[in-house]
Parts: sequence; structure tokens; C-alpha cells
Amino acid sequence: MLRHLPPLLALLAAALLPALGASPYVLGIGITACIFTVGAASLNLIYGYAGLLSFAHLAFWGIGGYCTALGAVSLGIGFWGGLALAGLLNAALAVLVGIPALRLNRHSFVIVTLSFSLLTALVARDWVAVTGGPLGIPGLPAPELFGLSLRSPPRFYWLALAFAALSLALLRAVTTSRIGRTLKALRQNEPLAQAQGIAPTPYKLLAFAISAALCGMAGGMQVFYMQVVDPLILDFYYFQTFLVMMIVGGAGHFWAVVIAGIVMTVLPELLRATAELRMVIYGALLLFAMVAMPGGVAGALESWRDARRRATAERPDPVTAAAS
Amino acid sequence: MNGAPLLRLEGVRKSFRGVHAVTDASFAVARGSITGLIGPNGSGKSTTIDCLSGFQRPDAGRVLLDGQDITGLPAHLVARAGLRRSFQQVRLFDALSLRDNLMQAAQAADGVGWLGAVLRSPALRRAELAAAERAWLLLDQIGLTRLAESPAGALSYGQKKLAALAAALMPRPRLVVLDEPMAGVNPSRIVEVEAILRRLNAAGETFLIVEHNVDCIMRLCHEVVVFEQGRTLTSGPPAMVRDDPRVLEAYLGVPAAA
Ligand SMILES: Nc1ncnc2c1ncn2[C@@H]1O[C@H](COP(=O)(O)OP(=O)(O)O)[C@@H](O)[C@H]1O
Ligand SMILES: [Mg+2]
Repeated sequence: MLRHLPPLLALLAAALLPALGASPYVLGIGITACIFTVGAASLNLIYGYAGLLSFAHLAFWGIGGYCTALGAVSLGIGFWGGLALAGLLNAALAVLVGIPALRLNRHSFVIVTLSFSLLTALVARDWVAVTGGPLGIPGLPAPELFGLSLRSPPRFYWLALAFAALSLALLRAVTTSRIGRTLKALRQNEPLAQAQGIAPTPYKLLAFAISAALCGMAGGMQVFYMQVVDPLILDFYYFQTFLVMMIVGGAGHFWAVVIAGIVMTVLPELLRATAELRMVIYGALLLFAMVAMPGGVAGALESWRDARRRATAERPDPVTAAAS
Repeated sequence: MNGAPLLRLEGVRKSFRGVHAVTDASFAVARGSITGLIGPNGSGKSTTIDCLSGFQRPDAGRVLLDGQDITGLPAHLVARAGLRRSFQQVRLFDALSLRDNLMQAAQAADGVGWLGAVLRSPALRRAELAAAERAWLLLDQIGLTRLAESPAGALSYGQKKLAALAAALMPRPRLVVLDEPMAGVNPSRIVEVEAILRRLNAAGETFLIVEHNVDCIMRLCHEVVVFEQGRTLTSGPPAMVRDDPRVLEAYLGVPAAA
């Protein structure tokens, strides 16, 4: 139980932010941090653990946005129904896209998922009857809970925080279970895993579906925060942001990616960076990480720790040295 | 060691674009036996193992495990049918600890599903406890207990071979197929490993072992199958096979004087 303590304390501290008089501006950054961190962490499941680079997450994010909006606006199932539908639909789409994408190899997976995202962007723009075309669906209503509007910054912040906490808890439960271990095993040595009775495709599809569902729901949160969904939700900027957070934090390291998600949302704000400058910063960070720290910050820390441990191990143990 | 054989190959054939790797593999592994598979380099032993474990689909012939036709079944289903194998080029999950390698090896056989895994069901905890106990036992037997928490990638080649052997044994399979388990193992360890295999065999485990160390095979096996150029040359008890002039010829490349 003790290992749950630090994240729970962090969650408690974050929940107290509005009570400490944080401004709507600060809460807005908090909301973005919550949503983007889920995006990065979901990408981490499929890439960091299963080793599959999915460009489809841009599509899942956008489809989740449209689906949640349509649920509330057209289908009459409200924000919550739309959010749940976004999760289910994206999980189903992940399986449908994943089966052909996993047919050949890891490279074909990249190509197929990228094509899926490009196709989705086209559909969002051109299927005017459903998506509203380039104008999108403006004026999304406020999410409600027990008749209570969640529009005000503190309330939407708490909603985003609860969403992030539940999503990360699910991802954590999966990655620390033996499913997470099996995903890593498959990435390291697929034939050996098969020789041990593991069917690779179902495991990869499971990771892809969970990852897609959470990324899609994060997209739903995002459009209700912006109160509009239009083709800009499928802008490559979002995917790049998640990707950079994951790579810089350290793919395959759970908390490192979460922390990177938070830090990399807050930092550009502190620097008052414009969207364009932010892209440049992210691009530079990505380049730096790939060259200097291929395992991200977490990977670099790990090898530094390993090196130190090896150095201490080589030094003679003072106790046995004195005894001999 | 009587009754229907645990494994039977009938006329298994496999070529790779004109290379006839296996032309006729026909032999049986008796239940409860240690059966050896020997033959010159390139005679098709590893390809035969790939064929019987689902890593290659035979061009012709049949593979029967305990009477069940497993020909052409994918590898993970062959494994679930109770056949575990090791690889000539040793395979481990290098970034996982040695202990996790063994735990991972047992997981597909314990019947706990995804939901049980995520929710940490009582069945999962029971299965993991049993697996952990077996892992410690096997690590102790191969003498690697002190390296349990090291990443498998950090082991020496011989240690990796032993670890792969232990991993294959984890789920108590019906048949264990080992491709050159002694290659690279410290010679002082080989007799110990033989003792482990003999002990497990006495407890009911069946082994099919490809091995270059012919002395080791002759000491260990009840039955020896000899391969030559992709086909079964002969098979029989070690003493008989050793004195077979065709075996001498296959190994030495000269006709034995009549
Ligand atoms: N995947 C493959 N593609 C092409 N040729 C192969 C392949 N696997 C094995 N061979 C060939 O099949 C023959 C038998 O090899 P192998 O089964 O490894 O023999 P052994 O294990 O008895 O040394 C060799 O000539 C080898 O080069
Ligand atoms: Mg071989």
C-alpha cells in the first residue's frame, strides 16, 4: 500500500490547487497538463511497452473529440455518454486497424497507422453532414454532474484531474501487471514468447485498444475544454506533443512520462511561448533527447545509476577487506 | 517407458528455396525417456525441431504429440499443448531479470486470464506463488540463485543456456526439447546438468535433446536418433548406435571397414 502513497499525495496536492486561489489561467494550464499527460501515457503503453509506434493516436484523439461532441449534441447521450462511446469506439477501431497493421511487421504498423490518421483528417473535413466540415461543431455545452455545470475553471479542472487520475491508474494497473511484462517480453524476443505459449497479436491488440480508448477520451476532454471541435483537433501538433513528452521522459518508464507530460505543459507557459515557438522548442528537445539520451531522462538516469552501482561493486567491500 | 510414444514424427520434410534441410525425419520419443538427436552439422536437426515446435510448417509429413496431430500448429499452441523447447542460439528476455524470465515462462500455462492479471485475482496470486517457488528451486538446481535479480542479458553464454533450460522446465511441460543445451556451458557444470536432467526424468519428465557432445548423449539417453543429410539414419539404444557402421561413416565420412 505504501507504494501508492506518493502518487496519492501528489493527486491530493493537485486537487487543492483551486482552493489555494489558483487563477483561471493557472487552472487552464493544469487542465491541459491533465489531458496531454493522458495522451502521452497512452502512447507510452503502445510504444514504450509494446514497442509499436502508432501514428493512429492522432486519429483516436480526434475521433474521440468528435464522438464525445456528437454524443452530447446529436445523439442525446450527453457528455458522459459521448465520452464512454469515444472510449468504446476507439477501442473497436484500434482492433480493426490493428489487425491489418500487425500482419506484417513493426514498420507496416507505422505506415498503416499513419495512413489511418491522414484518412481520418480527410473525413473530418469532408463529411460535412456529421462533422460540420471545416467549421466543426461549435458551442459545445458544459459537462454536467448531478445537474451541476462543470464549466467554471475550478470544476473543469477537477473533472480533468479525476479523468487523468483514473486513466493513469488503469494504465499503471496494466503496465505493472504481467500483461505489461509480457508486452516488454514480446518486444525483446517474440519467438521466445511464442515458444512459451504467448500469442503475440492478442496482446498487442489489447495494448493498442486500451491505449486508443484512453487517448480518444482525452480528445473528448480536450474539445469540451475548448467548447468546440473542428478539424484542428487532428492537427499534427497534438501528436507531436504526446510523442515528445514520451520520448523525452523515457519510453517504457511510467512515471517519467507522466512527469514529462506535466513539466512540458507547464514549462512553455512559464516561458510564455507561442504555439510556433513551442513547436520549435519541442522539436529541439526531441532532437536533443534522441542524440544525447536515447532512453529519455529516465533512461539516462537509469544508466547513470547502473554505472554508479557497478563502480561501487568493483570497490572492495570494506568489511570483507578488513576481515581478510 | 512403454505405451504409445509421446512424440512421433512421420516423414517430415522441409526445404528452403531449394535447400533440402530435412528430407525425411521419422522417429519417436517414448514417454518418460531421454531421447538424443545427433548428426553432423547441417544435417537438419534444428530445422526438425522448428518443424515439431511450430516454428516452421513442414512441407510434408506429420507431427503427433501424445496422439494429437499438431502438424502446422502455430508455436504458441504447440507450447500450450505441453511441448517446450529451447533454441540453439540462446534466447532470453535480456532486459528482464533472470527471475522474471522464469516467471514469464510459466505464465501462459497457468490459465489466469487478462482480467485476473489486472485485478490481481486470488487465482493469479496462487499461480504466481507456485511459479516463484518453482523458479527458486530451478535456479538453485542450475546454481544461479545469486543472479536471480540480474538482467538476463548480463549472464555469460553458458549461464544463459542454463537459464533457458530452466525456463523451458518452468511449466512442467509434457515434453522438453533442447537444442544443444550444453554448448558453451562450463565443462565442470555439464555433469551437474546431466544429473538435473536425470533427476527430472526420474520424476517423469520426457526429454528430446540435440547435442554435439556425443559422450554426454551416450551417457544420458535411453534412445539415440541419428540424422544424416536431412533424414533419420538410424535409431536405437546408445550402445547399438555407437557400433553402427553407418553412424561411423556419417560422422567420419569414410566407409567403415567391413
Ligand atoms: N531458414 C533457413 N533458410 C535457408 N536454409 C536454412 C534455414 N534453416 C536451415 N537451413 C539450412 O538447412 C540445413 C540444415 O540446417 P540445421 O537444421 O540448422 O542443421 P543442424 O541443426 O543439424 O546443424 C543447413 O544446410 C542450413 O543451411
Ligand atoms: Mg542446429
